[in-house]
Amino acid sequence: MKTIMLVDDSATILLSISNILSKAGYGVEKAANAQEGLKKFQGGVKVDLLITDLNMPGMNGIEFIKEVRKLPSYKFMPILFLTTESQQSKRAEAKAAGASGWLVKPATADELLNTIKLVLR
Amino acid sequence: MEEIVSVFAQEAREQLTAMEDGLLRMEQGDHDAETINGIFRAAHTIKGASGVVEIHHIEKFTHILENLLDKLRNGELQVSSEMITALLQGCDHIGALLDRVDQGNMDEDPEQKQKGEASADALRAFTSGGSAAETKSSMVEPSVANVERAGGDQAISDCWHISIRFGRDVLKMGMEPLAFLRYLLNLGEIAHLATLCDGMPQAEDMDPESCYLGFEITLRSHATKEQIENVFSFCRDECDLYILPPNSKMDDYLGLIERLPEESLRLGEILVRSGALTQEELDQGLRRQKAAARIAEATEQPSPQLGDILVERKMVQPEIVEAAAAKQKQVAEKKTAEARLIRVQADKLDQLIDLVGELVIAGASANLLAQKSGQSTLVEATSVLSRLVENIRDSALQLRMVQIGETFNKFNRVVRDVSKELGKDIDLVITGAETELDKSVVEKIGDPLMHLVRNALDHGIEPAEVRAANGKPVKGRVELNAFHDSGSIVIEVVDDGGGLKADRIQAKAIEKGLIQPGQTLSEQEIVNLIFEAGFSTMEKVSNLSGRGVGMDVVRRNIQALRGQVDVRTEVGVGSRFIIRLPLTLAIIDGFLTSVGDASYVIPLDSVVECLELRDDDTRGHMLNLRGEVLPFIRLREFFDVEGERPQRENVVVISASGRKAGIVVDQLLGEFQTVIKPLGSLFKHLRGIGGSTILGTGEVALILDVAALTQLAGQTEERRQLPGGQRAPALESH
Amino acid sequence: MTEFATQTTTDGALHLILDGPMTIYNAGDIKAQLMGALSTSSILEIDLSHVGEMDTAGFQLLVMAKRESQRLGHTLRIVAHSQPVRDVIDFYNMDVFFGDPMIIPAEH
Repeated sequence: MKTIMLVDDSATILLSISNILSKAGYGVEKAANAQEGLKKFQGGVKVDLLITDLNMPGMNGIEFIKEVRKLPSYKFMPILFLTTESQQSKRAEAKAAGASGWLVKPATADELLNTIKLVLR
Repeated sequence: MEEIVSVFAQEAREQLTAMEDGLLRMEQGDHDAETINGIFRAAHTIKGASGVVEIHHIEKFTHILENLLDKLRNGELQVSSEMITALLQGCDHIGALLDRVDQGNMDEDPEQKQKGEASADALRAFTSGGSAAETKSSMVEPSVANVERAGGDQAISDCWHISIRFGRDVLKMGMEPLAFLRYLLNLGEIAHLATLCDGMPQAEDMDPESCYLGFEITLRSHATKEQIENVFSFCRDECDLYILPPNSKMDDYLGLIERLPEESLRLGEILVRSGALTQEELDQGLRRQKAAARIAEATEQPSPQLGDILVERKMVQPEIVEAAAAKQKQVAEKKTAEARLIRVQADKLDQLIDLVGELVIAGASANLLAQKSGQSTLVEATSVLSRLVENIRDSALQLRMVQIGETFNKFNRVVRDVSKELGKDIDLVITGAETELDKSVVEKIGDPLMHLVRNALDHGIEPAEVRAANGKPVKGRVELNAFHDSGSIVIEVVDDGGGLKADRIQAKAIEKGLIQPGQTLSEQEIVNLIFEAGFSTMEKVSNLSGRGVGMDVVRRNIQALRGQVDVRTEVGVGSRFIIRLPLTLAIIDGFLTSVGDASYVIPLDSVVECLELRDDDTRGHMLNLRGEVLPFIRLREFFDVEGERPQRENVVVISASGRKAGIVVDQLLGEFQTVIKPLGSLFKHLRGIGGSTILGTGEVALILDVAALTQLAGQTEERRQLPGGQRAPALESH
Repeated sequence: MTEFATQTTTDGALHLILDGPMTIYNAGDIKAQLMGALSTSSILEIDLSHVGEMDTAGFQLLVMAKRESQRLGHTLRIVAHSQPVRDVIDFYNMDVFFGDPMIIPAEH
């Protein structure tokens, strides 16, 4: 079973997306902020894909994935950003930091699952 | 076994049973659309579910089955007992694959794979008219295909062709080309895939974390170009991606070959193998390329990039494909849009718009007072406020606007059914479906439109043999057009039929006593008689007419919406019914004018220019507008306003339905935003007035009906011709 | 991570067994092993029956090894495939390229 790590400071988003993912047969790891997520990665959690919010209190999404990419086990893991339309300009920055792609909020379950299919190894 | 897999297996078996039941019913002669739809849905569900649980061989096989069912469902193919047999065998195969899943094996058994391919071939044979044999067997002689494709400019492949060269860094960014390419299986069937490793350097210099691969893919799919592009959206910036639509021309493929980094001959061979080109076409194309290069060399001109020209030419053709694709997309977008809709009760909306109306009036009043006060800070504050009010007004009105497309689309079915019934072959062409108008108008326009369309089908379009005899295309054409014009919406029902015959209308009108035998009428006036009560010219009463609904009812309905209907016709060429309706915007941008003590508002978007009427000499009702003859109406006369004419009058030049007219008023008071209060039923038949409004000062102003006024001005002009040689009064622009 | 085992067969071929994933995570390692094996023997047999996972990076290494052995005039055979390996080679439609050493390779 493929496992997806979800990092978002919104409990609603965490819950709704993780419901969609579990229903689709994925394992889900959740973190409410970047620090918590990073701790899980440093602990060597088995994750096949990271989906993270861009704007989070504390460490933001860009800094977060830069740290994750430094860990050898996650160097090539696909990473998707949750962005809004207005954050288009952030995409270049996100890519440079090591993001594989993005999901525009609010995404439907189908959009979400299709995008995951695109990047999951 | 994972829970989701067992859930899948169970669900798939249920769907399989449903498919088999349906297929058997079809064999028994059940041609109900719901039956075939049910079978299709079942196959679709199995495909989708197998994709979710990642049993790709089931997904792939079911896709082939689904393809055939889709064609059956759309009526592209007719069902035969051989086809049912092949489909049932396909079901059996899926059953066998599910058995293996039940045993806990997610991969494909080689022996089963062989059987599956045989079954898939049998299914493909129906969908591609024998091209299954073509893709599978190299024994087919290219010359056979050549006969159909003589000239090399004809359509050649029914598949999309995708060329992609992945960027060096895609792997490092956590992307996996396999995932993208496998995703294509969700869009269709990969008929051919060639992997190109030419970009890979020698082993020593090869970076194991870089990507050096490129692919030439032939995709059999109903997907749109955008859907295919979206698969690669994440790596688009890093990749070279070219997509050729199905039925691209040979030249497009040759252009592609020239653009790609690999050697032409080798790419050509891949295209030949994938079925996009025949060997002969390739040879011919490469010869042409060489010849072009030689010419370039000889003339020492910068090499005429044949490829560029050809690819440019490609840019034209995909648009045609995209037009079709765009339609599919719209449907898809509409589905997602629906999910974001909020249902609101109409009266709440009306209440909001009423309030916004009051706000606009209050705003205008505040503005007026601020200007009078002469306090610049107050003026500034109110101007900001009025800009905001304007935005709120626009947004509020937008809430009630709907596209007319929905109404138009209903006629697709009407045209198909009615033309079948009449034994005529008729196309419906819709333009301007996105034109918006008020919901209340949309609801009421359906009936008149239905009558006009049926009329066009029934009386307008001639029987096929008459059309053929007159040298017209046998296939008739009915158009529904919508567009905005001068604050109105115009809806046209156009047919390319026989047109209205004035002499017959006249004879009929005389017979009915609508006109007197000696009466002289212009052709247009005669044609307009069809809108008079109780009029039907068709001797042969068909199934569709003779319902007691005449054109007079159409006109009444449209007039009830404060609209007009008009007809232009030419014998043998066709007729055009033009419906002009107000947008019934509760609020409009107006131009405020005054005559005596009365104020009049002219809808701003119909105002062309304002002039001073210098010369008081108004013999006749025409002006000379820089050499152009312009009929005009003096409001003072038209509305019998009391009082003396001022020394100087002004002309507001307005335009509606492509006709211009002058409105002579005393004073121009400038732009003014205003709320339309509909006139009571008492004033319904007043011509030239569209509504009323309350000014910021509390006074009432009348809103002019521009369309009616231009028409009236035109008529007045016709009746009172200027005596020859007399000059129109001189005019000067402000 | 992936383990490598080599043995020399009676006909002088070098038999290389890869046990573990062949993915971008260990692509560097595997490349080094393959290069070493290629330089050791003129006949190289690779056993991929224990490769549980293969991605595009892993696949590229096989292409690289095949082409390198051709350049050196050596022989390279993949003697056993696991299902994941077969899936990738099948999907990329490269069975002909690897399958029969007698086939003229596609890039010439």
